[in-house]
Amino acid sequence: MAIPAAIHASGLRKLYGDFEAVRGIDFEVAEGEIFGLLGPNGAGKTTTVEILEGLRQRSAGEVSVLGCDPEKETDAVKDRIGVALQSTNLPDKIRVREAAELFAAFYTRSVDVDALLRRLQLWEKRNAYYSTLSGGQKQRLALALALVNDPELVFLDEPTTGLDPQVRLEIHTLIGKLREQRKTVLLTTHYIEEAERLCDRVAIIDEGRIVAMGAPRELQDRVLGHARVEVKTAAPMPEELPEAWREGVATSFSDGRKMLYASAEKPARVVVELVKWLEAAGVEIEDLHIRRPTLEDVFLELTGKSLRE
Amino acid sequence: MRLRAYGAYIKITLKLTLRDRVVLFFNYLMPLLFFIAFGEGLGAATSSGAMSQTVSMVLMFGVLGTGFFGGGIRATMDREAGILRRFKVAPISPAPLLVASLVTGWAVFLPSVFLFLSLARWRYGWDQPLNLASLLIVTSVGVLAFRSMGLIIASVVNSMQESQIIAQLLYMPMLLLSGAAVPLHIFPEWLQKLAQFLPATHLYLGTQGILVRGETAWDNRAAVGSMLLAMAAGLVISIKLFRWEKDEKVKPAAKLWLAGIMLPFVLIGAWEVHRGGNERKMRILERQTRRSQSWLIRDARIFEGGGEWIERGAVLIRNGKIERVYRGAAPEPKEVRAEGIEAGGRTLLPALIDSGVVLMRPGAKEPPQDLESVLSGYVYWGVGAIQALPDPLGVAEQYRKKVDEGEVIGPEILPGAWVPPFSLAAAEAEAGELAILKQDLARQFFSDGYLRALAATGERRPRSPQAYAAAAARLRELWRRGELPAPSGAAGGWLGLHGPALLRELELWQKEGVPAAEILRAATALAAARAGAGARLGRVKEGYEATLLIVEGDPLEDVRSLGRIHTVLVRGERVSRGELANQNKSSGK
Repeated sequence: MAIPAAIHASGLRKLYGDFEAVRGIDFEVAEGEIFGLLGPNGAGKTTTVEILEGLRQRSAGEVSVLGCDPEKETDAVKDRIGVALQSTNLPDKIRVREAAELFAAFYTRSVDVDALLRRLQLWEKRNAYYSTLSGGQKQRLALALALVNDPELVFLDEPTTGLDPQVRLEIHTLIGKLREQRKTVLLTTHYIEEAERLCDRVAIIDEGRIVAMGAPRELQDRVLGHARVEVKTAAPMPEELPEAWREGVATSFSDGRKMLYASAEKPARVVVELVKWLEAAGVEIEDLHIRRPTLEDVFLELTGKSLRE
Repeated sequence: MRLRAYGAYIKITLKLTLRDRVVLFFNYLMPLLFFIAFGEGLGAATSSGAMSQTVSMVLMFGVLGTGFFGGGIRATMDREAGILRRFKVAPISPAPLLVASLVTGWAVFLPSVFLFLSLARWRYGWDQPLNLASLLIVTSVGVLAFRSMGLIIASVVNSMQESQIIAQLLYMPMLLLSGAAVPLHIFPEWLQKLAQFLPATHLYLGTQGILVRGETAWDNRAAVGSMLLAMAAGLVISIKLFRWEKDEKVKPAAKLWLAGIMLPFVLIGAWEVHRGGNERKMRILERQTRRSQSWLIRDARIFEGGGEWIERGAVLIRNGKIERVYRGAAPEPKEVRAEGIEAGGRTLLPALIDSGVVLMRPGAKEPPQDLESVLSGYVYWGVGAIQALPDPLGVAEQYRKKVDEGEVIGPEILPGAWVPPFSLAAAEAEAGELAILKQDLARQFFSDGYLRALAATGERRPRSPQAYAAAAARLRELWRRGELPAPSGAAGGWLGLHGPALLRELELWQKEGVPAAEILRAATALAAARAGAGARLGRVKEGYEATLLIVEGDPLEDVRSLGRIHTVLVRGERVSRGELANQNKSSGK
């Protein structure tokens, strides 16, 4: 018998009045997997996640979280999951340790609060008021609260939004540690790097639909099987292209033929031919890159718009 | 697990509350400032009633503030700040949060009760007997009820702004119309009636009843019951309407729930208005407050009642009783926490006692409509007690209670025997001699029209010219035998002039040769003793009722000085004579 999925959703829909925020989503998250929902703001990520967390009711579809229906067995689900919400707050004058102890009291199971704070580098700050914490410390505390009940499944909704790059890295490291503990994680983000870096699999979501799903590399390959070679030269490049590029290589020039983009399935070979071609013509190369498509490109390709819009 | 969540949440909410300076300010500091302002500036120190009122008032500030602002606005703030949202993902219901809010409100409020009681006692010498358990029960139920009203506000508003508006809309009228900040009796009658539909009025009257009248929580069970009901309803409704996130809006119709929680108070209000119970209680509380004022009457010539005179002395009055009689120099009023009455050149004596008053004419089926103004006429004229003839309907007994409690202002009503009163004033009227109608005495209290009508009746009435001479001869006879009766004006017989008739009677006694000193004794100490109240009435003596009269001049020279009244005190209450006369005249008498 197959191991049951930690999350299973099929045909999931959510209507707010006339507006359909989620339009039929199907996906599964396996136990121990770190799964990302990637999409721009308003794509339906948060709605989807909140339905799974038991915070919202779905309009249609089947959902199971840890084998339970979050709509019917809400408290049972809440008791076994950990959640770091996108935008929440705690009272200004609550101390870090008090917050962790308070939340620990809400669950049937809880971990050792002091050990948890140490693990999340909050021990030094255990007696600090919430209002005195930095953005990164607040986010670490949010993670601590999400882990206080030793959850089987952790939901992280935009865990690094609004944090500076250094702090974002810290949080990434902490999430990486969850993998070592074999926790199942569902992460939403609109940061490409985050998804690429942390997730085993990603679903790209746009206007309430999943437009692509798979491992980040696999998605890149599947959607855009091509890598792109970018070259910049000191003088304009010759009119006549190499013989071998007639098939399987797409090119475009810019900057008065001093900039070339060539995409192909086998970029290394294109580079060899390119260098020979330019040397023969006596044109000096100023710069050269091979760029694999990013999830950003994938998203752009699939939806025709940028994630950052 | 569930209980653990309640415990943990209550614990943290308490901690957070105590860390919040705003809460501490509104719960302790602001009421304390009001307390001190009233205690130092507005005379609460010289009146235990005013002090009780001050305590009630600051407790009401606390209850209303904790309820509407602490409960209602706090919860809305937490929702707006996204704090509640964080709790939404935990496996808990709103119940622990709401219960914690109630418990915290209560726990933060409770010390203020002790704070203000101790201050009143130790700093201002407030010495009322106190039913602490009942006070704690009533105020605790009050704070819980108002706190849950606050939670309903939070449940039905969509923004901080809205919650501020609604909280203010409830806070201000409840503070102003409950009697806590402004005495209820100064409001027009319709507003007083309206006030009885406000939950705050029930709480205030309950608190005051306990502080001033020594009532128990059980005596205030209707108020306690309706507040408990409101608390339970509030809790249920706010759990039902609870919203964790500010994005979840509530429909405008939900605000009607707020009206729902008022229902118990509308019902109890309607019942109270119908029964008049609260209006009665308000009047009683007001009277008790007046009676509890401390006075120091200084520099008076004192007629003690039994026949002894103090040429210059002072009398300290506290809680309606004579606490101390000073011979010679007296302390400053402030030193003894009393308000001073300067009585230099005046005479202080026990208020007069009229020993034969017929409140119900024989054969009457109903008590007279104007009985209250009859009673007020006596105190106007310095008559502090009357001996009423028994009546089959028990009207005298009924009014004795009303006067004792303070619902009605009047002389103390002492039981009398079935003896037709002996009265020269009545005999004089019978003889057709109506000089009393032309005296200033009567004019002060009765309207000219009324007195003219009486004179006209006198013209038509058959006269018994011998009546007066016979009565006067009888008086002289009794005096000669040393059997002077206790005097009675008998309301001037058919004239029905309750009050001035006694003064007329004493004047006539003097005219017939009875010495002034004997007359004064007969109308005070002797009358009290004959009515069986000699141990507490009719003398200026420590422990006696502070039912006293201050007159200009020296009644020992001429008893007619008794008509030149400076001050009347009845059980410690300084009678507003002008007010009583106006009321009487405007009633057409």
